Amino acid sequence: MSSLLSTMFLATGAMAADQGALEATTNNAANVNTPGYSREVPILQENPPVVVGNLTFGTGVSLAKIESVRDPILQLRIQQETGQQGALNAFTGALSQAQTLFIAGASDIGSEISNLFSSISQLSANPASIALRQGVLTAASNLTSTFNNTASNLSAQRSNLDLNVVQSVQQVNTLTQRIAGLNGQITTLQNLGQEAGTFIDQRDVLINQLSGLIDVSEIKSDSGITLTTSNGTALVSGTRSFSLTTQPVSGVQHIFSQGNDITSTLSSGALGGLIAARDQKIPALLTSLDTLASGLATAFNTANAGGFDLNGNGGGALFTPVAGAGSAANIGVAITDPALIAASSDGSAASNGNLANLSAIQDQTIIAGATPTTYYGNIVFSVGNDVSNGTAELQSSQLVLQQLQDQRGSISGVSLDEEAANMTRYQQAYDAAAHIVTTVNQMLETVINMGTLP
Amino acid sequence: MSSIRVNPYPLPDLLAALADTQQQQNTSSLDLATGSRINKPSDDPAGAAQMVSNTAQSSQADTFLRSITSLNGLLQTADSTLSSVVTALQRAISLGVEGANGTLSDSDRADIASELTGIKQQLMSLANTSYQGEFIFSGTATVQPFVTDATSPSGITYKGNTGTNNVQIGQNYSLQINQAGSQMFTSASGNVFQSISDLINSLQTNNNIDSAVSEVSDAFNHITGQRVFYGNALNQLQSQQTYLNSEKVDLATAADSISATDMAATSTAFTQSQEAIQADLAAMSRMSQVSLFDYLK
Repeated sequence: MSSLLSTMFLATGAMAADQGALEATTNNAANVNTPGYSREVPILQENPPVVVGNLTFGTGVSLAKIESVRDPILQLRIQQETGQQGALNAFTGALSQAQTLFIAGASDIGSEISNLFSSISQLSANPASIALRQGVLTAASNLTSTFNNTASNLSAQRSNLDLNVVQSVQQVNTLTQRIAGLNGQITTLQNLGQEAGTFIDQRDVLINQLSGLIDVSEIKSDSGITLTTSNGTALVSGTRSFSLTTQPVSGVQHIFSQGNDITSTLSSGALGGLIAARDQKIPALLTSLDTLASGLATAFNTANAGGFDLNGNGGGALFTPVAGAGSAANIGVAITDPALIAASSDGSAASNGNLANLSAIQDQTIIAGATPTTYYGNIVFSVGNDVSNGTAELQSSQLVLQQLQDQRGSISGVSLDEEAANMTRYQQAYDAAAHIVTTVNQMLETVINMGTLP
Repeated sequence: MSSIRVNPYPLPDLLAALADTQQQQNTSSLDLATGSRINKPSDDPAGAAQMVSNTAQSSQADTFLRSITSLNGLLQTADSTLSSVVTALQRAISLGVEGANGTLSDSDRADIASELTGIKQQLMSLANTSYQGEFIFSGTATVQPFVTDATSPSGITYKGNTGTNNVQIGQNYSLQINQAGSQMFTSASGNVFQSISDLINSLQTNNNIDSAVSEVSDAFNHITGQRVFYGNALNQLQSQQTYLNSEKVDLATAADSISATDMAATSTAFTQSQEAIQADLAAMSRMSQVSLFDYLK
């Protein structure tokens, strides 16, 4: 047989448990808009019963713990997809800028090539005309300056990407430091047997941000978690973080971890996308432009050298320089005197025989087996295709990420309806327990009054 | 809890849907405004590459058409010059026939000879005709083709060369645009200046007038034959111009089918995206305004 006092304790214990549960509900409602917050559920537990004779009495309820609801595997998937999205975002962003240089219009390389051939055609109707010869030189110099501008724009974009790489590495370092710090706090709390839900939420948010910047693999261990890149370079190990550094290597910033160059191993996160655009796509575009520029220069120089200029002298070079890396950036017109265009095939001033050889370049497969126009068309296709594939992948990655976030929300998100229902539930339980306390109090009074005379 | 828990915070989904729809609307409105559905290479990489060669071909056709216009002027000048030459030679022949009449006095023949001297001057100036500053019968030289020269039997020497020029007026199609002056006016099968010179001499000496007239006649036939060259060239220009104009129409049709905006479909898409945006916004404004908390009073 239990005592009235123990019943009183049981009721006040219930009030405490319900109040604790209500606190969890309040915290949930308070954090309804906090990014990365995982809802908390109070875990209520029966107290161990007391056996008196052949009766077993329950001893009430206590709040065992407040637990965050989360799915660690889902969290990993979100991290992976965030990394994928970071890479695609950076990559398509970079190439979308590059493709604006190849929009068909009045002044892209393709139109300038057409204009040059057009000016040569016009000259052939009146080959001794200085005005028409000047027209050819102007068209040639428009073409070379378009080559120069396109190449220097691509190089400038490459330098911007280089700056982005450095900034991203700094962000990675800040994040890994903070994650290592949180690791320490979480481990301490867990060693004391306490819930570290809030810190884990914060760490998940940071790891997610980190995944958006660089490849991240997560390994759980007793001393918190270890984060590495996909090829095993350590980023965080327990309470230690490992800073990445940048150093210029052949003109661009490479990323080093403890002395090792890890640049080419990064494939995910913004860094993966930036590096793919900076070290592969844009250099490939520049190389294609160099091939086109040097192919055209060589063909025009050869054709011009096969004829005679207005003064009857053998023709010289039209374009400089002719070959090698940087042709597109440096190509220029070699002559300023319109008389030096070798229109004549026999040395007589009004002959246009050699202009046919210059015009013929338009239809010759002189650049990697393609005509100049086809080759340029292939460049346009290649850059357009990269952007359009990247955009499509980005969209599907966005959908996947959205689904995963939905899934996370359905598990960990705070529902105000649910919290309102819980609130009433705990409030009613609290009310009931408080009533019991009042009742027991009256009973105790009755007992106390038993000893006094009326 | 046995029921499936749903994501209580769907706002990001709606925002993403809104952004997506707005992107579609932007694309549609750009397509409608420019009339082209390829406004950057990534809109249709293969189409963009096709447009590069389509544009190049159409610019080439424009160039050929410009060449044709300019050649038309040149060839018509040459043709009408030769027409004047033919008229002058006809006059020379009838003067020669008149001079061969035995009843004429020496002074009559001297008058005819002096008129023929004038015709010779006229012929020389015709042979030195220029178009846009360039002599049209000097071959590929830029010098005045026919100059007076006392050492020459005809009194006139050809200073040009025998070069000819071809101009491209189509892909793999080039047209010869001139004949050397020597072939026109001082050919062995009909020498314009020599024959007039000989006729003048014959009339002055009253000797071999008939054979001199037949010499002029040969020159007349020769020039008439040569004139056919220019007539043919003008015909070729005409038919090539027709061909190029229709090629341009074909290229424009091809460009349309590659890149033109389908106005009906795009307008519909534009309207649909507008409606979708309104629906998204309406959903966003109505959601999450109430929760169970509002009913617990």
